[in-house]
Amino acid sequence: MRRNTFYIILGLVILFEVGVFWWAVETHNALLMQLAFLLGVVVIYLARGRVEEIIEDERTGLITQKASLRTLQVFWVVFFAVNLGVAVIGLGPPGFPRRPPQPPATDTLLPFHMLGQFAIIQLVLLGLMILLYVGFRIFYARKFGEWDSDEEQS
Amino acid sequence: MKNKVKVFRAMHDLTQEQLADKLGVTRQTILAIEKGKYDPSLDLAFRIARHFTVSIEEVFLWEEPPKSP
Repeated sequence: MRRNTFYIILGLVILFEVGVFWWAVETHNALLMQLAFLLGVVVIYLARGRVEEIIEDERTGLITQKASLRTLQVFWVVFFAVNLGVAVIGLGPPGFPRRPPQPPATDTLLPFHMLGQFAIIQLVLLGLMILLYVGFRIFYARKFGEWDSDEEQS
Repeated sequence: MKNKVKVFRAMHDLTQEQLADKLGVTRQTILAIEKGKYDPSLDLAFRIARHFTVSIEEVFLWEEPPKSP
């Protein structure tokens, strides 16, 4: 399989996932979305293994390794700092910070109707993590000559 | 680390793409090595030298980094 064919399959899988997400929200079927996502990951993994051109070697491995490590370090520190602040507020004395009267506390830590918002916040954070990774990947790819050109390049 | 990959490649009349295919790496990796942007692993360095049937010291030259004052 050529590399471009792989990218076409990747695009089709993304379209499929968006469609299934819409359908799953309409039908209120969480399992459908989760299974579709896992299926998409498997399809992409299998398709990637069939690309005949060499797209990975020790240099790309090094770029991936460095970008992943930096992403994990930065994301962990920022994520921990944000949640540390929220934990301090949550565990602090009542009335600080000042806020409007709250409804009586429920038994659960997070009301069920807020789970969707909680999930969206997490999805946004995971999206930001990907952006961070892409940024680091571009940095290290440039450092290790990914976009250098010479007289052989057409 | 300096290297003479480009010289040996020219002597053997190989393009970057051809050398990359023979060594199982991407063309960009060969280009990055030639430009000194990437130092190959020992394994790849030996494979490059063996491909040109020379010793590794003939292709790669290690230089001590300048000492900071």
